[in-house]
Amino acid sequence: MLKLVVCIKQVPMVSELPWDPAKGTLQRDLAEGMMNPACRSALDTALRIKETAGGKITAITMGPPMAEEVLREAIALGADRGVLLSDRKMAGADTSVTSYTLARAIEKACPGFDLVLCGFSTSDSETAQVGPQLAEELDIPGVAYVDEIEISGHTVRMRRFTDNFLETLEMDLPGLVTVNAGRYAPRHVPLGGLQAAFDGADIVSLNAAEIGLDPERIGAKGSATKILNVYSPTAGKKNIVLTGAPKRIVEQIFERFDDKIGGAIGKDLKTERK
Amino acid sequence: MKHKVVRKAVRMFAEAELGPIAHDIDRDARFPLEVVEKMMPLHFFGLQAPKAYGGAEMDTISYAIVIEEISRVSAAVGLCLTVHNSVGIYPIVRFGTEEQKNRFLPAMARGERIGAFCLTEANAGSDAGGVETVALRDDRDYVINGTKIFVTNGGVCGTALIFAITDTQNPQRSAGVFIVEKENPGFAVGEIEDLCGMRANPVSSLFLEDCRVPETNMLGRPGDGIKIGLATLDAGRLGIAAQALGLAQAAFEDSVRYSKERQQFRKPISSFQTIQNYLADMATEIDAGRLLLYRACAVKDAGRPFGAEAAMAKLYCSELATRVTNTAVQIHGGYGYSKEYDVERYFRDAKVTEIYEGTSEVQRMVISRAVLAQRT
Repeated sequence: MLKLVVCIKQVPMVSELPWDPAKGTLQRDLAEGMMNPACRSALDTALRIKETAGGKITAITMGPPMAEEVLREAIALGADRGVLLSDRKMAGADTSVTSYTLARAIEKACPGFDLVLCGFSTSDSETAQVGPQLAEELDIPGVAYVDEIEISGHTVRMRRFTDNFLETLEMDLPGLVTVNAGRYAPRHVPLGGLQAAFDGADIVSLNAAEIGLDPERIGAKGSATKILNVYSPTAGKKNIVLTGAPKRIVEQIFERFDDKIGGAIGKDLKTERK
Repeated sequence: MKHKVVRKAVRMFAEAELGPIAHDIDRDARFPLEVVEKMMPLHFFGLQAPKAYGGAEMDTISYAIVIEEISRVSAAVGLCLTVHNSVGIYPIVRFGTEEQKNRFLPAMARGERIGAFCLTEANAGSDAGGVETVALRDDRDYVINGTKIFVTNGGVCGTALIFAITDTQNPQRSAGVFIVEKENPGFAVGEIEDLCGMRANPVSSLFLEDCRVPETNMLGRPGDGIKIGLATLDAGRLGIAAQALGLAQAAFEDSVRYSKERQQFRKPISSFQTIQNYLADMATEIDAGRLLLYRACAVKDAGRPFGAEAAMAKLYCSELATRVTNTAVQIHGGYGYSKEYDVERYFRDAKVTEIYEGTSEVQRMVISRAVLAQRT
């Protein structure tokens, strides 16, 4: 029986996020949460494995108590159990500390796991670091940006599309993969499953002490990186009127934009013009 | 937490699957079978049907949220669901025999057979006692003759509940409800109505001409018709209230967005107090309607009589939907009157929520009866 672990993060639903026009920032504290799209693809991949090869899926998430929502959703979609890692002491974790926390929790809650699946990245921070770091923390092989996966015995065969290449890789289990978003249209949540996931689902909540984490290595305190500033880049618009004879106008266009035009056609126009 | 997750799951479905086509299916008056087929395995057609018959067995607030969220994107599809679930399935769950439940519910809960409830006739609507369709006993069958009009889901229904009298000498006391399937000989679908709104729903007339059904297709006993009809409409009203609320919510959200984008006098129109007052009133009414609806749903789930609460929710939500969608068109100005903007569709869709499943006038009758029956 394959033991699959899917790491899921609840991220702010940006489309629903109120914008603070005075500060020019998203009001994250008012955000509704949703399952990170790439995590949804990771769960989808695990469900496909379960449907063809059998197995049990544990969905695991770290976050505020509200993150339980994504575990219920995962169970409604077909996961067998949920593990919620929630503790104020874990708050403010950077990617390295998150990986440490997840690794110890997976060892604790899912001993003997075969395959850990993560989304390749999360839509709220986009570092794409937790998956590979988690493989290091668990001391297992890991492959990032996977599109397709097949399991036979204790080997996984994976395909990924990168830079116009199609790579096929093999890995022995236990191992970890991070899954690209968008390979398959994510399945919709069945309402009967959702009702059942709330009527009675196997969800455990673990705090830092229960996982047995080193208090010095978790949360903001244990994190080596600090977020100094979060801001939204703004794009400005400016009208430019080019005057002169047509030849002069074309020259002006190249003077202003030759790096961009050159980039588009793959030539260094500055050197060519000289 | 459950209700929030249900809302998000349905919103995601509706925006992904119905969002891109909602405008076109209204324009073309097309029932979106391709989306309905995606809804089937997700239990949209068995929202409150018991698990034993393949339903999701959701609570009534969850049910209302599902209808709200689907209607927020396409009220015509929301209409299909609310009619199917509340006045198609609910009476069979509540009044059906075990044999009837086993025979009809699983296919309905899967959505393979879409339900319709047929009370309205040329001379009967608000006055249920005016029904002229007759079902006369012939040995162990009933033979039904009559014409039903304005049947929601009429063009696609697989299973229709037909309201008919069984004794022409005593129409009021002999009314019965018959489960008729589209394969029954003598059952025919009329032309699809050309309506102001809800155009993606194939509302039609149904013809019953010597339509023969076994006596085991009668819900309850002869004479139970009025009782079943009224109880069914109580449940149906919650769904219509939810549908109206979804429409109002959509119109409100579009208005907020548009008022921030639209510039007049070099300012977004949301900076003008008149528009702010419109938005404040819309938000307040929608919130009040939602609380009224969820209260009625909670009373139903607690197993207490909920007829007056359902009538209040239906009355208030349908009327607020008409007001809110009207204001939404006003905020959008000329664009709001154009089919290019969704508020034009919401405006057309909203009006009928004041008419079907009991007009506003009938709701006030139901409410005032309950009020006057109370001891003071």
